[in-house]
Amino acid sequence: MVISVDSGSQERLLRALAEQIKLPLIQIARQAELSQLTCSDKALKSIEYTADMAIRLIDSYLLSIHLQTQASLELEPVSVGAILQDTAHRLDRLAKEYNCTLEVHLTGRYEPVMANRQSLEAAYTMLGYAFIESAPPVALKHQVILGAHRSQKGVVAGIFGTQPGLSADAFRRGKAIFGSSRQGLPAVSSASGAGIFLAESLLKSMETPLRQSRHRKCGGLAATLLTSKQLQLI
Amino acid sequence: MKRVLLIEPDKPLSDIYRSVLVSDGYTVDACAHAQDAVHAADDNRPDIVVLELQLAAHNGIEFIYEFKSYTEWQDIPIVVHSIIPPAAFGMNPRMQRLCGIKHYLYKPATSLKRLRRIILETDLAALGTT
Repeated sequence: MVISVDSGSQERLLRALAEQIKLPLIQIARQAELSQLTCSDKALKSIEYTADMAIRLIDSYLLSIHLQTQASLELEPVSVGAILQDTAHRLDRLAKEYNCTLEVHLTGRYEPVMANRQSLEAAYTMLGYAFIESAPPVALKHQVILGAHRSQKGVVAGIFGTQPGLSADAFRRGKAIFGSSRQGLPAVSSASGAGIFLAESLLKSMETPLRQSRHRKCGGLAATLLTSKQLQLI
Repeated sequence: MKRVLLIEPDKPLSDIYRSVLVSDGYTVDACAHAQDAVHAADDNRPDIVVLELQLAAHNGIEFIYEFKSYTEWQDIPIVVHSIIPPAAFGMNPRMQRLCGIKHYLYKPATSLKRLRRIILETDLAALGTT
């Protein structure tokens, strides 16, 4: 079976990633310079964490390419709550760097959903990264929520924040221009938005599209994950 | 004490630039958004503006147009310190002069040492004109 890879979309994703990766590299260079000036070890911790996030960005891109070449993706029952808690733990240090309040909000308990664990983890980490680094105007508190709620079709799980301007229309426009423009979501973020479009690509490979959504009065991006029918019967 | 208005959308980078400028004796007002920067300038008139052009919501050029539209701020020097290379932005000396940009620094290639030197030079040049 021949698998077709949308090379145009991959090229745009690669360009967005290349723009995005400049940011952690500049941070590392300047943190290293600052640590020489101040003879402080504090910057070294930041360098370590910033480099880790840059590697995650690249790994997520490679995973998205790999998934696009797969005839079928292995799905397994996954706990949404556990995935969001793990993601929050992974992003905790980054949130501190950006002076951002990170919160996990789950309304009740959910049945396991059918997903590819690795892709889902990578997708929410990338989304979280994109939301944390996009600070809202000073009048608004910088808060990011990893949230889930039930819907008729399944469990809606996503990342939500206090950044204004993230409408369904802005997201649609972003999908059309990312990679060809330096800023995928200029209304929301100064960066390329690679994290968001990587998450979209990873979720699309599980046939769970990313959509604009709301949770606890915050706008964000979420995917509707289908619950495991088999486990429901048990 | 001289006041720098630093418009940098990335918090960790903003913290680094602020810390070196403070150690050089400047008072720094750091903002991530163009509109917040206009409010900050309104509260405390800056002596130098250090500006990233790639911002959320309003870009840096929009900020420059608004900033320079106020007569009391027209003589404040602007140092662009951006992730956008000058060539990609189509920036040439004439356009730079028209926008009131004293220096255009490409952020990935600008060390802290160079940034500090350019700000000091801009500061001294401004002293010479007043």
